Amino acid sequence: MSRKLLRSQPLLPGETGRFAAILSGVILFLAVTPILTMIVMSFSGAANLDFPPSSYSLQWYRAAWQTFVSPDQSDVLSLGKAMTTSLMVACLTMIFATLIAVPASYALTRCEFRGKAFAMQLMSLPLVFPMVVLGLALLLVFDSLPFHLDTSRLVIAHVILALPFVIKNCTASMMTIGSEVEEAAQMLGASPTRAIVDVVVPLMKSGILAGMLLAFIVSFNEFTVTYFLYNIDVMTVPIWMYSRTVSSLDPTVFSFAVLIVLIDFVLIWALEKLVGEGGVSF
Amino acid sequence: MQNPPITRQEDAAKPRRNRPFSLTARAWLFLTPSMLFLAVLIVASLLVLRMSVGTKGAEWSGFSLDSYAQLFEPYYLKSLLLTLRLALISAVIAVILAIPVGYTMARLKSPLVRRIFLAAVLLPLLVNLLLQSYGWLVILGPAGMLNQALKGLGLITRPIMMLYNQNGVLMGLVQTAFPLAVLPIASAMRGISRSYEEAASTLGASRFQVFRQVILPMSLPGIITGATLVFAYNASSFVVPLLLGGRRVPMLAVMVHDQIAPLMNWPAASAAGVVLIVTTLAIMTLSEFVTGRRRRMLEASQ
Repeated sequence: MSRKLLRSQPLLPGETGRFAAILSGVILFLAVTPILTMIVMSFSGAANLDFPPSSYSLQWYRAAWQTFVSPDQSDVLSLGKAMTTSLMVACLTMIFATLIAVPASYALTRCEFRGKAFAMQLMSLPLVFPMVVLGLALLLVFDSLPFHLDTSRLVIAHVILALPFVIKNCTASMMTIGSEVEEAAQMLGASPTRAIVDVVVPLMKSGILAGMLLAFIVSFNEFTVTYFLYNIDVMTVPIWMYSRTVSSLDPTVFSFAVLIVLIDFVLIWALEKLVGEGGVSF
Repeated sequence: MQNPPITRQEDAAKPRRNRPFSLTARAWLFLTPSMLFLAVLIVASLLVLRMSVGTKGAEWSGFSLDSYAQLFEPYYLKSLLLTLRLALISAVIAVILAIPVGYTMARLKSPLVRRIFLAAVLLPLLVNLLLQSYGWLVILGPAGMLNQALKGLGLITRPIMMLYNQNGVLMGLVQTAFPLAVLPIASAMRGISRSYEEAASTLGASRFQVFRQVILPMSLPGIITGATLVFAYNASSFVVPLLLGGRRVPMLAVMVHDQIAPLMNWPAASAAGVVLIVTTLAIMTLSEFVTGRRRRMLEASQ
C-alpha cells in the first residue's frame, strides 16, 4: 500500500526513511567497532598491536589454550579457577535475583499499596547508582562484618546490580497477563499462593527467562564493583584479564575476549528471541 | 467465556480477597527479599556518608569536614569539573547519535534486521567494558586503525596521540554509554502513533519537517531520559578513563579508587563518592521533574 502511495506522494512517511536507516546502520557499526577490532586482532599473526595485522594466524588462540591447560607458576591464579568462580557467581546471581524479583514484581504490578511509588524508585536505584561508590560502600560493609565472606560477597553485589533488570522484565511480562486468570484459578478453588505459583508464574515464563539471562550477562561481565571486592582467592574472569594486562597488553587476552563476546552474543540473541516484539525492557 | 456466571461471581468474590492481613502488608511481604538486598545498598551508602566525615586513622570515631574541604583544592576541583564536562559532552553526542538509531529501530519492519539492530545496541552496553576498552586501545593507538585511516586519507602525516588524553576517553565514553540513550528514545518513538506523521505529511510537511516538528517534540521525554542516563553513567565511569586515560585524565571515579588502593585514605575516597552520589541523584531528580511535566503536557494535549 505504502509503495503505491509513495509514488504519487513521495513524502508520505510510514516506512523508515532510507537516509535514517543507513545513518543508523553506520552509527551502530561504529558502536560495535571496538568489539569487532578485538575479534580481528585475535587472529593476528604479528606480535604488535598494529591494525590491520600484517599477517593472520591462530597463534594467540594456541597461546591462550596453553595458558588454560598449563598455567604458569607465576600466575597468581589460573584462568580455570577464575572461570569457575565467574560461572558460579553468575549462576548464583541469576538464581537469587530471579527468586527475589518474581514476588517483588507481583507486588509491584498487582497490588495497590502505600509506598508503591517509593518501592518502584528504590528498585531502579542500582541502575543509576555510581558503581565505584557501590564497590567502595560494599567493601566498607563487608570489611566491618565480624565474619568473612568470599564468593558470597560477589554474589550479593551482583544481585543488587542485576535486580533492576530482572524486575523490569518480570513486571513487563506480568503486565500482559490479566488479573482474571488468577481470579479464575481462585474461583476454581486454588489458594492465592497456588494461583500465583501454578498459573501466573508459568504464564510469565518468557519474562522470567529474559530476566535470568540478563542477570547472568550482567554478572558475567561485571568489572567495576568486583574490582573493589575481589581478593586473591576469589577472582572473576574480567579481574583475571585485567591483572594480566595491567602492565602491557598481551594479545592472548584478545582470544579470551572473543570467547566472552561469543558467549555474550549467544545469550543476547537468545534473549531477543525470548522477549520478541516489545524488545528488552530496561 | 462459555460460562457467564463466573464473571458475575468474580465481582461477588472481590471483598473476600481482603483476607487476614491487608494488601499493603501482603505487598510488602512480597517485596521483603528484594528490599533486603536494597537495604544493603542503603546501609552501605550511609556508611560511605559516615566515613566521609571521618578522619584518616580514626575513620569511625573522628569527625571533620577536611575531606570535603580537600575537594576544593585545585587538583580535585579540576577533576570534578573534568568529570562533569566529559559527562555532559558525551551525553550530548550520544543523544545526537541515538536519535536516528532510535527512530529507525522504532520504525523497522523486518524482524531479522530489528534483531540485528537490537543486538548491536545491547552488545556495547552488556559486554565487559574492559574488553571494549582493549578494542579502543587498538583503534586509538599510535599505529592503530584510526591513525592509519587518517594517514591513508592524507589528512595527517605523523600519527596523532589519541590515547591517554581527553579525546580518547570521550570517544570511549560515548560508545559505551550510547545504548543507554538509544533504548529510551526508541521506546518513546515506538509510542508515537504513525497517524500523527501521516497527518502532518498530508498537510504538506516534508519528511524532515515531520521529524523535527512532530517526532522530536513528542519523544522529548525519552530523549531527556536518555541524556540523563548517559550523563549519570559517564559521570561515574571508571573503566574507560582508567584504561584509555591512564593517569592523565583523572575522572572522579578513578580518583575514588586511587584514594583507596595506593593511598588508603578512606575518608577522602568517601567524600568524593558522596559527591558522585549527590551529582547522580540531583540530575536524575531534575530529569524526572522535567520529563514528568513534559509527559503530563503531552497527555493533556492528546
